[in-house]
Amino acid sequence: SCGESNPAATPTPCVDTQGDGRWMSLHNRFVANSKDKEPDVLFVGDSLVQLLHQFEVWRNLFSPLHALNFGIGGDATHHVLWRLSNGELDHISPKVVVLWVGTNNHGDSPEQICGGILAIARLISNKLLHAHTLILGLLPRGEYPNPLRDRNTRVNELLQEAIASLPRASYLSVDSGFVQSDGRISHQDMYDYLHLTPQAYQKVCKPLHAAILRLLEKPNEN
Amino acid sequence: MSVDELNPAAMPEPVEDNRGDARWMSQHNRFVQECKDAEPDVLFVGDSMVQLMQQYEVWRELFSPLHALNFGIAGDTTCNVLWRLQNGELQNIRPKVVVVWVGNNNYNHTAEQVAGGIMAIVQLLISQLPQAKVVVLGLLPRGERQNPLRDKNAAVNGFLRSSLARLSAAQFLDVGAGFVHSDGTISTRDMFDFLHLTSSGYWTVAKPLSDLLLQLLEETPEERRASLV
Ligand SMILES: [Ca+2]
Repeated sequence: SCGESNPAATPTPCVDTQGDGRWMSLHNRFVANSKDKEPDVLFVGDSLVQLLHQFEVWRNLFSPLHALNFGIGGDATHHVLWRLSNGELDHISPKVVVLWVGTNNHGDSPEQICGGILAIARLISNKLLHAHTLILGLLPRGEYPNPLRDRNTRVNELLQEAIASLPRASYLSVDSGFVQSDGRISHQDMYDYLHLTPQAYQKVCKPLHAAILRLLEKPNEN
Repeated sequence: MSVDELNPAAMPEPVEDNRGDARWMSQHNRFVQECKDAEPDVLFVGDSMVQLMQQYEVWRELFSPLHALNFGIAGDTTCNVLWRLQNGELQNIRPKVVVVWVGNNNYNHTAEQVAGGIMAIVQLLISQLPQAKVVVLGLLPRGERQNPLRDKNAAVNGFLRSSLARLSAAQFLDVGAGFVHSDGTISTRDMFDFLHLTSSGYWTVAKPLSDLLLQLLEETPEERRASLV
């Protein structure tokens, strides 16, 4: 299949170049966690997912929904694909999976990144027959317009086109207008022009929370 | 030639924008601008450990009231912080205390070099801000289990402790006690990814730091403060 020639859609573990084994520690913890929890909602992705877990908005909006957070900073699509293929989905049956990854796929084309995200969504739908996958659009990044903003925009366009072909999946944009009229992104929203402040997470999480609630209330799609 | 000139961890170096969104330089430029607009009594400089603190309640509770600025950038090495401080981040400000917390990202340098890089930052601060006190935070243990980087960070702290003891304007503060449990593990309750601190991990670190800052700020005589203006 075309997935095999796409590095973004090829499951790959993160190499422990730093030497403290943290990535594998986190993956192992997620697998262990999933054995004693019965989450209704699962978040998977990169630092944007991971950091969400650290702020009050998580406890206010998502903890009450019985949500688990499997976010790892720096992860690209092929890392998430590896994690989900290696135990993180084996012991749970969430009703909703929130997928937010792709902005770290440096060197991959928009088509490849989209292919990577779709490969993750397909894996989820194969492994979790009762789950609906909510794919979050990539956010703009960088203080000023730059090629990575264009890349992320293109990924989002491709995702929206492709989403119809996926079973039990939908696309959600959570960009509440982070790019201002002068083309800039404020550090009040993204403190390093990539990661969200607690205030920006509030903006992102409102529509996200509403979308999850709708999916949880919906009768089973099967 | 001094030892520092041979130490790669003491060479000022900007971060190359190999990702293409220029975020590092955007942050540096913002910090330089903040120096023009703010009059901080306390300046924090360093990497993600410094940067992330500002996103938590503990910053607003303990450090904002001290008129603190936060110049943390994730991923920064001692070289990157040195470059930033030499390129505008110390201009137009006269903080009474500077908190330095960096060194975790110097993967290509030995413990001795990392400590030398941190000492180069301290020397720069002392020469640029002769009235300021410098507090160097010790590197925390990292990784879920025992690993070489824990040993390295402990060695860096050892070098720092003895080097800083010789300087009257600077001191070492070890805030790493209690993170490693008796079985050798670090908990995600303290470090959510076995490196970066959770909200409660930050409280553990920030309490002794805040006490020290209050003490140092009190020690700065009013008249000396007035003469700085
Ligand atoms: Ca001293």
